[in-house]
Amino acid sequence: MIKAIEYFIEILRGSVITARHFFVNMFFHILKVMGIKTKRKGAVTIQYPEEKKELASRHRSLHRLMKRENGKPRCVACMLCVTACPSECIYVEAAEDPDLEIQKYPAKFIIDLSRCCFCGFCVEACPEDAIRMDTDQIELAQYSREDLLYDLDKLIG
Amino acid sequence: MVKIFIDEKPLEVEEGTTVLNAAEQAGIDIPHLCYHSAFLPEGNCRMCLVEIEGLPKLELACSTQVREGMKISTKSEKVIEARKGVLEFLLAEHPLDCPICDKAGECKLQDYYEEYGLFESQFEESKEKREKRLKIGKNLILDQERCILCTRCVRFLRDVTRTHELGVFNRGISSEIHIYEGLSVENNYSGNLAEICPVGAITDSDFRFKTRKWFLKKEESICPLCSRGCNIYIEYHPGFPRFSVPKRVYRVKSRENQEVNGFWICDLGRYGYSYIDEGRLNQIVENVNHPLSELNLEKILLFISEKLKRLYHMKKTSHIALILNTWLSNEELFLINKIFRIDLNVEKIFFVDPPEGEKDDFLLTSERTPNKRGAEEIGFDFKPLDLETLGNGTQFLMAFGPHLSHHFSLTEIKPVFDKIETKLLFTSFSNEMNALFDIVFPTALIAEKEGSLTNLEGKVQKFSQALMPLGESQPEWKIMVDLAKKLEVNFNFYRQFSSPEIIFQEMGKEITFFEKRK
Repeated sequence: MIKAIEYFIEILRGSVITARHFFVNMFFHILKVMGIKTKRKGAVTIQYPEEKKELASRHRSLHRLMKRENGKPRCVACMLCVTACPSECIYVEAAEDPDLEIQKYPAKFIIDLSRCCFCGFCVEACPEDAIRMDTDQIELAQYSREDLLYDLDKLIG
Repeated sequence: MVKIFIDEKPLEVEEGTTVLNAAEQAGIDIPHLCYHSAFLPEGNCRMCLVEIEGLPKLELACSTQVREGMKISTKSEKVIEARKGVLEFLLAEHPLDCPICDKAGECKLQDYYEEYGLFESQFEESKEKREKRLKIGKNLILDQERCILCTRCVRFLRDVTRTHELGVFNRGISSEIHIYEGLSVENNYSGNLAEICPVGAITDSDFRFKTRKWFLKKEESICPLCSRGCNIYIEYHPGFPRFSVPKRVYRVKSRENQEVNGFWICDLGRYGYSYIDEGRLNQIVENVNHPLSELNLEKILLFISEKLKRLYHMKKTSHIALILNTWLSNEELFLINKIFRIDLNVEKIFFVDPPEGEKDDFLLTSERTPNKRGAEEIGFDFKPLDLETLGNGTQFLMAFGPHLSHHFSLTEIKPVFDKIETKLLFTSFSNEMNALFDIVFPTALIAEKEGSLTNLEGKVQKFSQALMPLGESQPEWKIMVDLAKKLEVNFNFYRQFSSPEIIFQEMGKEITFFEKRK
């Protein structure tokens, strides 16, 4: 019997906490809407996509391939990213570069973003710092799967 | 016999054995770069240093012969320190371009460096600039920066091919492997150089940059491109789950067999692997409107067996003709011999093989027939295809192999084939001759099936399946066993043959030539 009463008391206490948060947030939110600056922010939600949160500096977003000074890809097609990739979504085909200092360049470089899990292993594996995941692009949805196959032109952009 | 101790392990070896070979017998691996068991020891890489009790300095394991009671330690502190020093000096001039080096993953220098953990360089001096892409032969590219001057390539060209195209030029730090003026490594064994190079100095332009070594899988097989029967490894790409790769087989390497090919294979076998992926037939082709719809092997064999049974019962087996080739294994030829020659009394059996080619005085033979000797031992006499005899009253023709086009033109052969009522072809390739046949069924290549071949010296060599048969292809032995079961002659005899191994055992019982080779 006592246990049943305790149960209802807890429910009431919970409701009071929720209501308090609601009214306090509402109060600050109204102040903000009216243009009065306060220390506290009212509602914690962001009005995405109109409003966007700043990404942390160590975030991982869409890949990009780095360029040399002459605009050629820095990638030497060593295929270590292909080897490291746990979702096996990178495909590289190498070709012979006439420049003896470079020797090898990627003729094809495809990332299947529909399979990518954004683990960043490719970035870590790269011995040339040729691939980075810092484009700030995190909205990658497309209408077809083919559009998610990013080739060299799209990645080097 | 001499008694020695390697790492306190007692061992008895023959007199005259080198320490390195003795250690190998004991299962102890002594690092070495320049030593190759095909050549005499040179001792210029200094990697195989070992400590021998009673001697003041470290000795070379590759060129020191064992003595009675010798106590050798291969893992002592002094030895490991020496190896580290040797590696450090080798790396003083070696560029660390492993990411773009084709040898990475199978490079001995890379492996040893990893093992001895020298990751921080003490050198401040910059490395010498040398030739990075020197074309030294039709398929070889030399990178002098990567070269560690082990001279395996020079010794190969001196001792094995005796063509002497490469040499060590200059002295001291300037010494380098180079090609003699006006020469080029064009001999038929040049591909072996890329294989014996312990680092990535000599690379194969056929394999260069195509893929990385660790993506490939390695399977044993036998080269069918001439009658020598060299032992090979087929290295193939199993494919990526989400991307298709352009081909399956990326390279062929030699497999040591002292009785047949030693350590080497010729360039024809090494670079001639494209037939495995190119021009293949991977599905059944039907050229005439037959009553059979949606063909499969079962229906084709039923059709064949009915035709054969009818001809057999009408005593018209002279109307049956067969065209065989020597790309068929011993087991397959044995089955064909049993079914057609012994059970059905077929006499018109012809052989159509690839035409003879160039030969050399080492491994390559002029005959491009991997199993001619086997066919002879089984009892076939080699009748080349005679169109007149074939056209004379033949109603049923079963042909194997793609080699008709090598010997006859389409216009020559068409009138003869038009007279034959039923024509079937079992081939691995699609070529213009396939249009002459009613039904063409795809078959597996030697790399895709199990069996055995007899080389020209009479050595019977078994081979295992390296690749999956392409598309609808089936190995011929399976087709033959299924056909024999459908023919219902000697059903219980053929029923037992569920693998080439069982067929081979039966062969051993029936043919004395194969008996001792079980």
